[in-house]
Amino acid sequence: MPANPELKQKVEEVLHENRVLLFMKGTPEMPRCGFSMRVVGVLEQMGTEYGAIDVLPILDPLREVTGEIADWRTFPQLYVNGELVGGCDIVEEMAESGELAELLGVEQPEGAAAQAEPEGASNPQQSPPLQVDGT
Amino acid sequence: MIAEALPGAEVEVIDETGGGDHLRAIVRAPQFEGKSRIDQHRMVRAAVQERMDDGSIHALSIQTTPA
Repeated sequence: MPANPELKQKVEEVLHENRVLLFMKGTPEMPRCGFSMRVVGVLEQMGTEYGAIDVLPILDPLREVTGEIADWRTFPQLYVNGELVGGCDIVEEMAESGELAELLGVEQPEGAAAQAEPEGASNPQQSPPLQVDGT
Repeated sequence: MIAEALPGAEVEVIDETGGGDHLRAIVRAPQFEGKSRIDQHRMVRAAVQERMDDGSIHALSIQTTPA
């Protein structure tokens, strides 16, 4: 089944507009899957700004789109600078190794955030839902 | 399935919930040498794509190491 071209274009726009973009199940405030929740946790710890898209309303059409764009069909998916970094496993591994901090251009956080969070550390932008018309 | 797709690989698959649908695959393979993590993961996923497509695998965690 080919990807919906309208949705694909919207996804490409969103990737262009957000340096760091997370496709997740649910929202950062209310993740709906354990893996998505963990990636949100990592991004919050990194203290970087990121956009978040809830994939649940458009799950099947979106799988086709990301399948074509990045050859990856499961979520969560983290993109940085328009390129797929990976799902939960990869993000966590890279967070631990320092690669993710380097990729995001932030300082490697020290272990689990037990201290109070610095002011303005994270600012997830909930992008408007991607609509799929007339599917 | 992974071992077939990646000859020479050491593969360990752990059933995380006992239900057969949340799996963790730990794979060490020479084919991973020089490849990015995401490409290594793609190779493992490609090997089990059928089971992911038919829903029998709901979640797959992957850890890869070049041999």
